[in-house]
Amino acid sequence: MSEEDVKIVGFCCNWCCYGGADSAGTARMQYPPNVRILRVMCSGRINPSMVLKAFKEGADGVFVGGCHMGDCHYDAGNYKWNRRAKLVEELLPEFGIEKERFRFEWISASEGEKFQKTMQEFSATIKSIGPLKRSTPKITSQAKATAKT
Amino acid sequence: MESQFLLAKAKDEELAEKGECGGAVSALFKYLLDQQLVDGVLTLTRGDDVYDGIPTLVENSEDIVETCGSLHCAPTMFGDLISKHLNDIRLAVSVKPCDAMAIKELEKRHQINPDAIYKIGLNCGGTVMPITARKMIEMFYDVDPADVVAEEIDKGKFIIELADGTHKSVEIDELEEKGFGRRSNCQRCELKIPRNADLACGNWGAEPGWTFIEVVTEKGKNLVENARQNGYIEVKTPSEKAIAIREKIESVMIKLARKFQDKYLEEDYPAPENWDEYWNRCIKCYACRDVCPLCFCKECDLEKDFYADENEIAPDPLTFQGVRLSHMCFSCVNCGQCEDVCPMEIPLARIFHRMQKKYRDDTGFIAGVSEELPPLYSPEKE
Repeated sequence: MSEEDVKIVGFCCNWCCYGGADSAGTARMQYPPNVRILRVMCSGRINPSMVLKAFKEGADGVFVGGCHMGDCHYDAGNYKWNRRAKLVEELLPEFGIEKERFRFEWISASEGEKFQKTMQEFSATIKSIGPLKRSTPKITSQAKATAKT
Repeated sequence: MESQFLLAKAKDEELAEKGECGGAVSALFKYLLDQQLVDGVLTLTRGDDVYDGIPTLVENSEDIVETCGSLHCAPTMFGDLISKHLNDIRLAVSVKPCDAMAIKELEKRHQINPDAIYKIGLNCGGTVMPITARKMIEMFYDVDPADVVAEEIDKGKFIIELADGTHKSVEIDELEEKGFGRRSNCQRCELKIPRNADLACGNWGAEPGWTFIEVVTEKGKNLVENARQNGYIEVKTPSEKAIAIREKIESVMIKLARKFQDKYLEEDYPAPENWDEYWNRCIKCYACRDVCPLCFCKECDLEKDFYADENEIAPDPLTFQGVRLSHMCFSCVNCGQCEDVCPMEIPLARIFHRMQKKYRDDTGFIAGVSEELPPLYSPEKE
């Protein structure tokens, strides 16, 4: 994989989606290597700010995977994340980031195939829209001089 | 409870004369202080001139008369003043609709005790920035701004009074076409009658010398009734016609506000490139966060080192304004304070108001008006 290839950050919940990724792995199902998986204990642990931070640090796409509705290990975490995800979808276009660069999905631990398929689809989408180009603020020379090192 | 309409005026002659529309609001405050139902009244007093309003805590009922009169050119916000500094006393406060919205959101978040506060709402057609007011008075009225002794907004006109008693007025539409007039968030505001307070008072539909009061809550109803029985105010029932006039004024203003919403939030909304330019100006002074009435965390995410990079000025908008938006936008009451204090003139209220409107369309939650907390805070499985 080259440096220019698109980068995807994948937040996966410990109990379902991460298990799904594991199932895909043990069954040797191939999926694109663009996704960097971060394990979180629950999709309800994810804040919109974490998605924003991922984009700031250079992600071209962000994926979040949680348990199916009703299956949350912590009872209602994925419902909470679902409500936040809607907000993220509204927020990203305000900063010139296409909605398509953000995706969330419910994947259970046994759905290795769904994980594989989702990753293939998502990285194809991101590749088709290309790397994220943001005009990050320029650091003024004065600010540079006064900034702490 | 069902709303109830009244006309009221102060029985005290000094208050009736000095106060707006018969001084009913001042008389209610006087009643609350005299009977020791509250420890203080938070209201706006005039500073050096009509462009200067100072939030003041009045603890002595004789001082109430000093607070009479309107100040449209001094946009202030009482919400966080109460939650941060006046949370330990029983308080009565005169609120614009946006103050009432902020107070309501803070009550839901347990930052203000709803049982310890009387909210006397004042109808509001909008406020003007002091600097804009001075400029437009020079340009359109041909008057030295320092000579203005009083101002009023009535029947779509911004009216000034000079020391010699003469009045001059200009249509607000005309002022706003040229980029002056009310603050842009006020132009977009849909809540002109604060039905989220205990009482909503104003001159719309009222006869001269009387205040039109819409009684919204039980608390407000008892207050008016007791003040009447104790001889502080005189009350009568408004005519059907008066109620209709008031409704008409409100609906015209709301229609106009929707037009401005379309203009500012859709048609003339800055493109992403323009926003990049705005964000680039940011000097990370945190004034927008500090002034926001609803933003009250003691530990702020913006200062955590994984979001705040010390070397970044201007900060990356995603992890500065983006994080603020993700925390606050659905609760935004469009008070416009963030925009007012921004030293780099970033039109922040526009993006916050636009996001709250989107959130309202998706979930039905209206910040400052809905009874429940935003659905984002809900623990429910739904």
